Amino acid sequence: MKRIVLLSLAGLFFAGSVFAQDDLLADLKSEDSAKVKENITIATFKSTRIINMHSVEMTGEGNLQFMIIHHFGAIWDNNEGATNFGRLFGLNAGFANTYMSFDYTPIRWMNLGVAFAGNSTLEGTAKFKILRQQSGVHNYPISVAWVSTANFYTAKSSESPNDLYWNRFSYLHQLLIARKFSNAFSLQLTPSMVHRNIVAYGIENAHNVYSIGIGGRMKLKEKTALTFEYTRQLNMYEDIIDKTGEVVSYSPNLFSIGYDWDTGGHIFQFFLTNSAYASNLAQLSVNPVKDNFGQWSLGFNLNRSYSVKHKVKTQ
Amino acid sequence: MKKIFLIIILFSAAFTGLQAQTYKTRDGNIYFNPNKNQGNKEYSALSKEGTAVLKVETSEVALLVPMKSFHFNNALLEEHFNENYLHTNKYPNGTYKGKLIGFDKSMLTKDGEYKISSEGKMELHGITKDFKSPVLLTVKGGVATFKCDFPVKAADYNIEIPDLVKPKLMESTPLNATISFKMN
Repeated sequence: MKRIVLLSLAGLFFAGSVFAQDDLLADLKSEDSAKVKENITIATFKSTRIINMHSVEMTGEGNLQFMIIHHFGAIWDNNEGATNFGRLFGLNAGFANTYMSFDYTPIRWMNLGVAFAGNSTLEGTAKFKILRQQSGVHNYPISVAWVSTANFYTAKSSESPNDLYWNRFSYLHQLLIARKFSNAFSLQLTPSMVHRNIVAYGIENAHNVYSIGIGGRMKLKEKTALTFEYTRQLNMYEDIIDKTGEVVSYSPNLFSIGYDWDTGGHIFQFFLTNSAYASNLAQLSVNPVKDNFGQWSLGFNLNRSYSVKHKVKTQ
Repeated sequence: MKKIFLIIILFSAAFTGLQAQTYKTRDGNIYFNPNKNQGNKEYSALSKEGTAVLKVETSEVALLVPMKSFHFNNALLEEHFNENYLHTNKYPNGTYKGKLIGFDKSMLTKDGEYKISSEGKMELHGITKDFKSPVLLTVKGGVATFKCDFPVKAADYNIEIPDLVKPKLMESTPLNATISFKMN
């Protein structure tokens, strides 16, 4: 009998210790349920562009985004001397390449856009989110997206000899692989391919132009960040015969450095880059050689999102 | 044989006796709509991942909501909520710990509506404040539902609302928590 009492006392003690909850909250915190089921990494980049290039970010579901990209003239012309001040580092030079786009995200993982891409070209873009960096139920260390752009040249003087309309098309495909390493630092790797339906004859000329790029964002304060981009073109930049029969060379290096400012509704991105073109297709295939730093140009991206469709998750 | 039988009975009595006193749930709903015009759902959000525990014997309750589980109608607002307002990387949870006042365990055994209240401490955005609010307890078919409507002043919890947005929002955001415990 003694043993029974002892055993049952031990049993009580054991049961008691299992269910003793001195601090209910501490118990909750130690449980898995204290963590959100799907902890999806947000704001790997603040905008759908790092600077020139697409970022892995996408316009939010049900949102329409309007974006303007501006590339101004050369910041400093060595032959112009003091008149450079009148040109205000290219801002007042009477030259700018403009890109205007509307894009909409009908479903979470797909974004469709149209753009006036500068130099009489129109663009259509489709972006797909393949993987979202997250922890919780699933653990993915990176975000992956795919973006394809079709560019249509509308001006009268086409490169095409018989002016076949399909010769006016060129395409860009990019794989975007990004990771947010910390709250302040994100990196993205971007392999790209440009396909042009028509190219001039020449040994070095090719339909497909490949490049690989890296871009990053370093948060400075709550709503500001520094960004950078470097893209290296891998083929078709030396001794190319252009449509007039001239031999030209392009710059295989595309550098940009930028400053992001999130005002809540708008995202401003100011940047300095060595390409004056507004469209990624031109930047990644026919970027002119710059002899000096003065030929770089300033620019900005400005975007604004409008909520069109409610996800209606709330009551 | 008799001994073993006794032991089993004592063990199971000890377990069931203690177990019956604590209820848990993982799908509590917390909703808020800070719009001055309550018909507008633009800035409203809902979490369905509130975890709560009720200790019947002592009337103690605790609630924990992962802040990232709040979902908005507008994806951009959700990003701002996490990045700029609530800093959810730094302060991942909103919590409440307190006592039910006027609560009796006999309420759980009889269907009906009971007006009780709760008093305790709420933590949000890294700041802890005293909390007191009436609670409506509805018991029906073995489910005890605690409903609580309470206001939260963003300024009290150091949550900065931009001047641009302020005119559209109420000074105190009304929150609504609905926590249901299944009792069997």
